[in-house]
Amino acid sequence: MSDAESPTNPTLTPDAQTDDFEAVDVFAESTDMDLRPGADNCYKCTACDVSCPVAEVDDEFPGPKFQGPEQWRLKRKDDAAVDDSIMSCSNCMRCDDACPSGVPLSQMHNTARGEYVDEEMDKLSREYVRNRILANYGTLAQLGSMFPRLTNAVMGNSVVQQINEKVLGITAERDFPEFATQTFREWWNERGGPQVRSEEKRVAYFHGCYSNYNTPEVGKAMVRIFESFGYEVVVPKQRCSGTPMFANGMLDDAKRAAGINVENFSGLIPEGYDIIASCTSCSMSLRQEYPELFDINGIEDLSAHTYEALEYLRIHEDLESEIREASVSDQSFAYHAPCHGRNQGLDRQAVELFRELDGVNIEDVGDSCSGISGTYGWKEEKYDKSMQIGSDMFDHMEHAEGNVGMTECPTCSMQMEHGTGYDIKHPLQLLEEALV
Amino acid sequence: MAITDDVLVVGGGIAACTAALSAAETGARVRLLAHKKSTLRQASGLVDVLGYIGDGGPSADPFDALDSLPADHPYHVVGEDGIRDGLRIFDEAVGDTYRGGHTDTNALVVTYGGTVKPTARYPASVATGLASSTGDMLLVGFEGLTDFDAPVAADHLTASGVPFDVRGVTVRYPKSFRSDAKVTRFAKALDRDESVSGGTVRSVLADTVAAEMDGQTRVGFPAILGDDHDEEVRDELADRLGVPVFEVPTGPPSLLGLKLEDMLFDALDDAGVRISSGNPAVDFEANDGRIDTVLVDQKSRLTPYEADQIVLATGGLVGKGLDSDREQVTEPVFGCHVPHPEDRYEWSDPEAFGDHAFARFGVVPDDELRPTGEDGEPHFENLRAAGGVVGGADVAREKSASGVSLATGAVAGRLAGEEATQ
Amino acid sequence: MNKSPSVLVIGGGSTGTGIARDLAMRGLDVTLVEKGNLTHGTTGRMHGLLHSGGRYAVSDQPSARECIVENRVLRRIAGHCVEMTGGLFVQRPEDSDEYFEKKLEGCRECGIPAEVLSAEEAREVEPYLAKDIKRAIKVPDGAIDPFRLCVANAASAVEHGARIETHSEVTDVLVEDGEVVGVEVTHQTGSGPYVHGEPGTVEEIYADYVVNATGAWAGQVGDLAGVDVEVRPSKGVMTIMNTRQVDTVVNRCRPKGDADIIVPHETTCILGTTDEEVEDPEDYPEEGWEVDLMIDTLSELVPMLKEARTIRSFWGVRPLYEPPGTGTEDPTDITREFFLLDHESRDDLPGMTSIVGGKLTTYRMMAEKISDHVCEKLGVDSECRTADVPLPGSEDFSVLRDYMDDFNLRSPIGRRSVQRLGSRADEVLTSVDPNPVVCECEAVTRAEIRDSLETAGTDLNSVRIQTRASMGNCQGAICCHRMANELAPEYDEETVRASLDDLYQERWKGERHAMWGEQLSQTALKHMLHVTTMNRDGDPATVDKDIDFAAFDDGSSEGGDAAGASSDSAVADGGQKRRAADDEHEGGADGDN
Repeated sequence: MSDAESPTNPTLTPDAQTDDFEAVDVFAESTDMDLRPGADNCYKCTACDVSCPVAEVDDEFPGPKFQGPEQWRLKRKDDAAVDDSIMSCSNCMRCDDACPSGVPLSQMHNTARGEYVDEEMDKLSREYVRNRILANYGTLAQLGSMFPRLTNAVMGNSVVQQINEKVLGITAERDFPEFATQTFREWWNERGGPQVRSEEKRVAYFHGCYSNYNTPEVGKAMVRIFESFGYEVVVPKQRCSGTPMFANGMLDDAKRAAGINVENFSGLIPEGYDIIASCTSCSMSLRQEYPELFDINGIEDLSAHTYEALEYLRIHEDLESEIREASVSDQSFAYHAPCHGRNQGLDRQAVELFRELDGVNIEDVGDSCSGISGTYGWKEEKYDKSMQIGSDMFDHMEHAEGNVGMTECPTCSMQMEHGTGYDIKHPLQLLEEALV
Repeated sequence: MAITDDVLVVGGGIAACTAALSAAETGARVRLLAHKKSTLRQASGLVDVLGYIGDGGPSADPFDALDSLPADHPYHVVGEDGIRDGLRIFDEAVGDTYRGGHTDTNALVVTYGGTVKPTARYPASVATGLASSTGDMLLVGFEGLTDFDAPVAADHLTASGVPFDVRGVTVRYPKSFRSDAKVTRFAKALDRDESVSGGTVRSVLADTVAAEMDGQTRVGFPAILGDDHDEEVRDELADRLGVPVFEVPTGPPSLLGLKLEDMLFDALDDAGVRISSGNPAVDFEANDGRIDTVLVDQKSRLTPYEADQIVLATGGLVGKGLDSDREQVTEPVFGCHVPHPEDRYEWSDPEAFGDHAFARFGVVPDDELRPTGEDGEPHFENLRAAGGVVGGADVAREKSASGVSLATGAVAGRLAGEEATQ
Repeated sequence: MNKSPSVLVIGGGSTGTGIARDLAMRGLDVTLVEKGNLTHGTTGRMHGLLHSGGRYAVSDQPSARECIVENRVLRRIAGHCVEMTGGLFVQRPEDSDEYFEKKLEGCRECGIPAEVLSAEEAREVEPYLAKDIKRAIKVPDGAIDPFRLCVANAASAVEHGARIETHSEVTDVLVEDGEVVGVEVTHQTGSGPYVHGEPGTVEEIYADYVVNATGAWAGQVGDLAGVDVEVRPSKGVMTIMNTRQVDTVVNRCRPKGDADIIVPHETTCILGTTDEEVEDPEDYPEEGWEVDLMIDTLSELVPMLKEARTIRSFWGVRPLYEPPGTGTEDPTDITREFFLLDHESRDDLPGMTSIVGGKLTTYRMMAEKISDHVCEKLGVDSECRTADVPLPGSEDFSVLRDYMDDFNLRSPIGRRSVQRLGSRADEVLTSVDPNPVVCECEAVTRAEIRDSLETAGTDLNSVRIQTRASMGNCQGAICCHRMANELAPEYDEETVRASLDDLYQERWKGERHAMWGEQLSQTALKHMLHVTTMNRDGDPATVDKDIDFAAFDDGSSEGGDAAGASSDSAVADGGQKRRAADDEHEGGADGDN
């Protein structure tokens, strides 16, 4: 029954993980972190502010410098008042990418947001309930994918969408992502788990919610590629990486999920496994936000062993030569680098690699944010701003040669599709086509 | 497997971009390894080559003055040819979005402090507002933007003896933002010509300013006139006002600097330079006096990058290419020697605008721009330096920051590329 | 009606402004003269500690008792200047148990509430305390803003009819017939013209009585009157951190020593201090080792201080005094008590009293005693009311509301503004629209700057101390010129520029003591911003050199197309080097290739 996968040490897999699994006291409540010292690094250059896609379109948003180092520096320990504009931050983390001085901006934002939600937000408000639902997409998806066809039909129904907007504040402009008829994990179990065994080359796959429930083809591509390079792939049981929870200040939810993920993955590291994610927000979360926000045994180790899939192959294999020798049928892509990928220094790698692939024309559609930022663009009051932020990207996509989009991020891909009507592929899908 | 190239340029500012473009011209396979956003975003977007020497007034011709620079000035290493090569690479990269290339002579540009300063290249949006051209001027500031006070700037210009009349007014921006809205918001509203009561942002702004005009033949605004569609914004305002419209470069946040950064990165893409950004180079592996591998801290894990030649263009104290503590000043990536007085109180002058030693801090280049140790010998055979990390010039007082970056970038990049492709 | 007796107070520190307020409230006709800003001397150069008395509980119990009394008074009358942080006397393993016990006992003897905390409890209060501390004593120390305190005292004095003259230096004490009858002041002639008095003019101010409240400078004023006042000025360094590593006053629990206190002050922590006798209160060495000592020693209590960013250091001079013949060698042994020197009984010179010694926490009590003394001399029968009537800004300070919504300010900005303005917040923050933030580091809005200008005139340093603008981590890199801009249009551009230069130089002076690490990067950015981007060092308006504007590029490479802007370019063109670029595009790439 269990779809957990941990071939060498079955005890690593906690059995019977139900949804009401509560992280034990090992990770006791201590989210009131004092980040004031982080303001020491800020020298007011405003590189963060001019990088902020929300500040460009939202008159009410004072920008990351205020939200981060300034607000923190002005704090006294017992001050509770976090400015409510923190909820307008989309958590794209471009400020992190911009800051030349190492200010822990997104950590400051995440922590302040957590504090705001905890202490100042009405837990019965529509906004809170809506955010909680959006933040827990994984749970929602788990339910939805039990009866994927029915769910797709219901969620695609415009009446339901209107109700969602009116009652919950979830925009009716967007179509809910369709659930796959077979989840990635169902496929994985059906094929009988790993097809390649290796003592030296081992990876544990963090597929995240979206590859599992919505785009299992990405996960399948990842498995096939890695197996073609001789890697043993395992797929431990896992929960949401936490990204949408951070963005909504639901740090308790995120911590619970993190506790499970750390427990299930970090034990594999001594066995020689590295952790691979196909979603750049998932890898971002495991690498950066986990150790920044939570003090959980093994979390640093997990962070240091997590890679994005393409990045891993670039470092560990001669991927470039392989690609140079391969070819695919002629196709053109408009590539968008997701913000969270940019933050990990991965924004250029897809274009750099696929430029060398025979038959492929790939064009970077510029460095603007797609505007959806996970759950941000799903909120009724943010929808217009989300589309304004994305307008540069839509423009560039339409001017690009191809009419297929490409990105690593599931929500960016929703936005790309929503704004242009293009089909969107994940780089792993093209890589699979080229190499497997 | 490390990620491998011929030339690895460490840094992401104007010097690094120039070095990468210069190296790419030699046919080398080049990678730019940038950490975070560069100091271009804090700078005005002007490209100074040399504006002042000693206590003299502003120099009209930067090339005339080269010989009078101190002996250890990096311009002596690269020579006039190096400077001209740097400017050529720059001019090619930015095309007609920048002006000043038609002459060797410096222009005097109006700054947001109301002063004028000599510069060699300036954005097209600045061109009609030069203080070294005539034509009466109206400067326009906005109520919520405290950085630029147009009436004060106008009076300041008058006190500088500019050869025209200038008046400043403060107006309300047509769209009411909260007072802490970012300049990018102001620019975006003009870009998209958002609607406001009485018309659109552009039309209402033009109407507001037209009411203030009194025979002036040009109108200047702080540099917020659009981002992606800046030319269109200027043209429309000029059209409605019937006189040319220009921008006054600002300090941070600097949209002009931001745009320059974008253009340089576009030029890198066009030149086929690979770019890895977002993570810092922190360490290296060397053998027999050559650097083999540069190690990049990719979120608590080191990723190796290999190259035949390395260019260090990580910037100075502002760009964090130089680090310091109470005892010493260091170059943190390769540990190159940075000479400095032992007593930290000698790092600066008691006068705020005095001759500060810190302004000249940096590595000491040999005649091939290789950083040298205390013994005067290069640290590594295949490591060159460019831009702010190179010491010897007080680029702030001289108004030579971009010039030094362009010139050292061009020469270091070319030498690295030639060496790698030999 | 008889004219009220007139009193002239010299010195605009806490004591002087306190006396001015007290006497004005008693109905006397008071004039206060100060050679610089209010707080220019020692008051503006203290660590901001509101003593509980704990520091003196072993060595100087009379001072300790006064402190705890006044501590309670100030919380009542100066709520908007005080932050009740609480204080800890922290014992490290190497510190003596005996002293710890004596401290505890001393506190109790002096009526200072004191509670022993285990190491764990202390670290719960202050998580960044060293892991190996032994235990701590908790006392009601607090933080006080001396600037706001003096400004509020002065404002209250003015409300009661006093005249406050800053930037007016006493250049002579007028003695007629063996009696002090007034002073001669010279109004400021410095680089910036100030609003008080005509710059450069000399004014004789007569008064029925003169109070010399110049602290460390009392000897110099005494000299002018021909009397000896043996002040023993003692300097102490204070190093300001960029952020608050602690929110409680942290003292080292050991007998007197250097570098034993960290005071959370506004957005910063202040590390202090040293105690070293100096000859001249205005001319003494400020040295790096003193700063190093603060960081190195205090990081034994709070280890993160070692790597934390300091933004500046400053030195203050204590106005220590001891009666002639006491002969104490070590200034740390000199009493912190204050002395009232009646020059009539002491030197046979009626008409003047000097006050020396003492400390900020007890300024009000000192002022009360001096005022009693002056009233007695002048035959005025009037009660002191300063212990009961709140200072302007501290009335009804308990009524804190949701200020950010009221003033359309972000909550931390609204909160900081209200913490500074107290009950004046409403009046000030609604006075300007739009009300942008001028100093981002310290969250100071235009309204607050403009409000402070009413008393500051063109003196931006006074604006600074009233509002804290330019006192944050960028040390004015971003906001100095914005502050100066607020002087216009009331003052002309030349005045704006001169005031900016003064402020800039003042910032530089203290910042130089912090120039390494992050602050050196900050300084380098500031330098680039002001020197490169704004060309303030080579500013032709200031530098005495005429520019031949025509010798520079006028932007025209193609005849008259650069519009009206270059219509004169043909004749103005003085450069022979200019190429006649007649190609259609003027981009350099076209020109050079």
